[in-house]
Amino acid sequence: MDNNKGSVWVIAEQGKLGILDVSLQLIGKARQLADELDSSVEVVSLGYECNLIGTQLIAAGADKVYITDDPATAVYQAELYTKLISHLFIQQQPNIVLIGSTFMGRELAPLLAATLKTGLTAHCTDLCLDDKGILEQKIPAYGGMMTIVCPEKRPQMATVAKGVFRQQEIDNTRSGDIIPIEIPVDFKARIRTLDIVNEETPAIALESAEKIVAGGAGAQNIEGWNMIEELATLLGAGLGSTRPAVDEAWTKINTMIGQSGRMVNPKLYIGIGLSGEQQHMVGIVDSDIMIAINNDEQSPIFKQVDYGIVDDCQLFLPELIKKLKAHQEK
Amino acid sequence: MIDFNFTEEQDMFRKAAQEFTETFVVPEIAEMEKTAEVNTKVVKALGEAEMTAITIPEQYGGLGLGFTERLIALEEIGKASVATAMMLQVNHLGIAPIVNFGTEAQKQKYLPKLASGESMATVAVTEATGGSNPGGCKTSYHKDGNNYVLNGRKCFITNSHIADTLVVFAKDADNKEKKSFSTFIVEKDFPGFKATHVEHKIGMRGCNTGELSFDNCVIPAENLLGQEGKGMKIAMSAIGDVGRGGMVGCSLGLQTACLDASIKFANERILYGKPIFEMQTIQNKIAEMKVDLEAGRLLGYRAAAVQDEGKMSANEFAVAKYFTTEAVQKAAKMAVDIHGGYGCMEEYAVTRYLRDSFVIGPSAGTSDIMKVIIARWAVS
Amino acid sequence: MFKIAVCIKAVPDPELASKIKIDPKTGSLIRTNIPLAINPLDRNALEAALNIKSTQGGEITIFSMGPPQADTTLKQCLALGADQGILLSDIAFAGADAYSTALTLASGIKKAGDFDLIFCGVSSSDGATEWVGPEISVFLGLPVVTLVSEISEVTSELIQLKANIENGYRKVEVDLPALLTVTMELNTPKNLSFSGIIKAKKKEITVWGIKDLDISENLVGLKGSPTIVTEMKPMEKKRAVEFIEGDRVEKANTLVSKLFEAGII
Repeated sequence: MDNNKGSVWVIAEQGKLGILDVSLQLIGKARQLADELDSSVEVVSLGYECNLIGTQLIAAGADKVYITDDPATAVYQAELYTKLISHLFIQQQPNIVLIGSTFMGRELAPLLAATLKTGLTAHCTDLCLDDKGILEQKIPAYGGMMTIVCPEKRPQMATVAKGVFRQQEIDNTRSGDIIPIEIPVDFKARIRTLDIVNEETPAIALESAEKIVAGGAGAQNIEGWNMIEELATLLGAGLGSTRPAVDEAWTKINTMIGQSGRMVNPKLYIGIGLSGEQQHMVGIVDSDIMIAINNDEQSPIFKQVDYGIVDDCQLFLPELIKKLKAHQEK
Repeated sequence: MIDFNFTEEQDMFRKAAQEFTETFVVPEIAEMEKTAEVNTKVVKALGEAEMTAITIPEQYGGLGLGFTERLIALEEIGKASVATAMMLQVNHLGIAPIVNFGTEAQKQKYLPKLASGESMATVAVTEATGGSNPGGCKTSYHKDGNNYVLNGRKCFITNSHIADTLVVFAKDADNKEKKSFSTFIVEKDFPGFKATHVEHKIGMRGCNTGELSFDNCVIPAENLLGQEGKGMKIAMSAIGDVGRGGMVGCSLGLQTACLDASIKFANERILYGKPIFEMQTIQNKIAEMKVDLEAGRLLGYRAAAVQDEGKMSANEFAVAKYFTTEAVQKAAKMAVDIHGGYGCMEEYAVTRYLRDSFVIGPSAGTSDIMKVIIARWAVS
Repeated sequence: MFKIAVCIKAVPDPELASKIKIDPKTGSLIRTNIPLAINPLDRNALEAALNIKSTQGGEITIFSMGPPQADTTLKQCLALGADQGILLSDIAFAGADAYSTALTLASGIKKAGDFDLIFCGVSSSDGATEWVGPEISVFLGLPVVTLVSEISEVTSELIQLKANIENGYRKVEVDLPALLTVTMELNTPKNLSFSGIIKAKKKEITVWGIKDLDISENLVGLKGSPTIVTEMKPMEKKRAVEFIEGDRVEKANTLVSKLFEAGII
């Protein structure tokens, strides 16, 4: 494949309510990269009965959109999606491909990368171009930041989580091309989805929460965890967690904030009984105020917050909750 | 060069013992501390994890491993719970005489259940007359047709109330000329046997210690263990090798726990703007604990290696037992001192370590008795 | 009789791995002596294989790409119940990214024979890309399902399972042979057992280098990696903490005041 002449692509995922936020955010980023490269933004999106998808994707920043509208692609099917998209990429020769780090994206991206014999970076927290126009893919690792590039193989592929980039303005005056993709009739699926079961989502979507209270191993037990939950409810905050709290089954994995979890960007973040390990802290893209409660004065969390309280959270939280309730009654 | 390395298998045994301890023992420690009772979940887990089978030959359902592997297991368990390590070590102690001196019939009858953990074991030697002087024991037996009848009381017996199979040491009542001793395999259901008083120890809570009463306890002739009159040799060999070796395991584990807790606290506790670990007086104590741990491990594993070669190791174990049990008492006190005021608070594990260390001291022979044995070895 | 392959990685013991940091002067890793362990999710993968072996019969082969000292990790897998291990170890394999790692493992698996099922952990504790399992499936031409959290049925033809999706799961049926990547919800891995360690002494670990595989040296290791790391920088800390002082009541009061002043409450 030719270096750096192709377009910046996004594989846009469709959910029940339309295009996923992460895909729109990535189109915004793709737009920025394409402008820098003097190139175009192209999007592929597979689905069924999604009439306005093409138009919406163009309004979000795409110049060309490739879509399917077929029962065969109504639901994600690894083999068919890989086949359709890889054929498209072999024809169209993208320079860069961005994919949301959704459950689907994290399976589809490596299938495409291996099929196209190219490189893929996971969970980038930043993307930029070097002076030769090569994509610098940045990911957090070992307490610092690593920069990864795919110097020769094309396309350069990266997955990015929701919340890392901001969505661009929707511009309904934008125009572009919508191109349908043909589906082969003789496709035989070796993987069949029999059912999709959705379990209840947390009340406050973490990515858009303005306040977040997150807890970790320092909660010590379910009683401690319940206090953290009570504080979150009292403040009207989203409840977040770190890996140890999920492993202890105090909370579900969908509250986990971090490198392999959710990304957040609140005004207030309170971390309770957690040590500020990088895998968690990179999940906090930014926050106006950060506060930590931890019983270890030496904990690394205290180097990453504005205000710190050294205390046993099981003893401090009841006092804090009492004071907050009294304040709210005034 | 002398090979001081463990084999790859032994490293894996150590890892297996760590995983067992983490999964089954650690979650029960708080409960054991609170009630001081033997935890049935832990007992069951010991059997299922094959800890009870370590020193039983394969043909009786055991693992046929040696005393090095036994010490590895006890050390790892002792890091988390000395009570559990003690319960296991005394279990091995009750098993050893049957393995070494039992008839084929006795081995077939008792060892498989002991290997699986279905039965627990202990050795009953100590009496009010003094564990340090087993020859002064008053518990006695006389022959009655095809049986022996045992009378007397044993005290400070670990696993007293959980043991199904007990190796009991007693004096021949009928021999008026000289003292003659024998050992017997007693089943807890034998008529006339009763586990009576339970001791409330200040440490090793979760390990049961108590009194046994033999009131015309009838023992079938085939339960004589070894030859009549050879009881002292049998009992002492068990205590000398297995008992002392077990205390080394308990001590090494607890020494490591004291050292780790001290390092952790010293790194977290800030005084004068820096962790107290940076102060020389604290480093002094850490260094002493470290030296004692290194030395104790060398002594203990060397004694186990001697035993695994089939040689007599009672002397080497006397040295290791004396050294490590004294060292662990020092280590526990130093750990408490490093913790300052917190060292008096129950929620800090070091307070348990201190109490456990007191109980380790006199178990399987006091330090004073060890020194008598060691002096004898020095001049021999 | 199932022929099952399990891909495992020897990683720095995750309990101690946070000690590895970036040297600010050289931009490379300061690796203190951290022992290797089986990647935690790979233990779930091995457990899944052991469950099928115990209910349906089978033979389990471990595959791992790593340095020579990774063989202790493979021995642990044998002690846990795998039947044999193949360690792909060669200086040519070093510096591999996920792509060339997957290609190397796939070559090893291909050389060893045909497998009915291949299990991988979803990701490794030290790489965490999630790419290796799916990429192996492409190189072997097998269907793949990632994030498997439950296996409900296994026949010689297919496998029925649950795989995690956002806020829920999908129930999926896959034709065998197939590759599955597993989550920690799938099972609780057994502990190492003493008797397993004894039995493992009789089992074999084979080491294969580049010469044993049907693949060019240019396609493995650093040479075969499409991606490279160009820079590693330690994180700059940007917030200076102000500790809130006082006894518990005072601290609570001060915190509430600060939240009020900031307009949060």
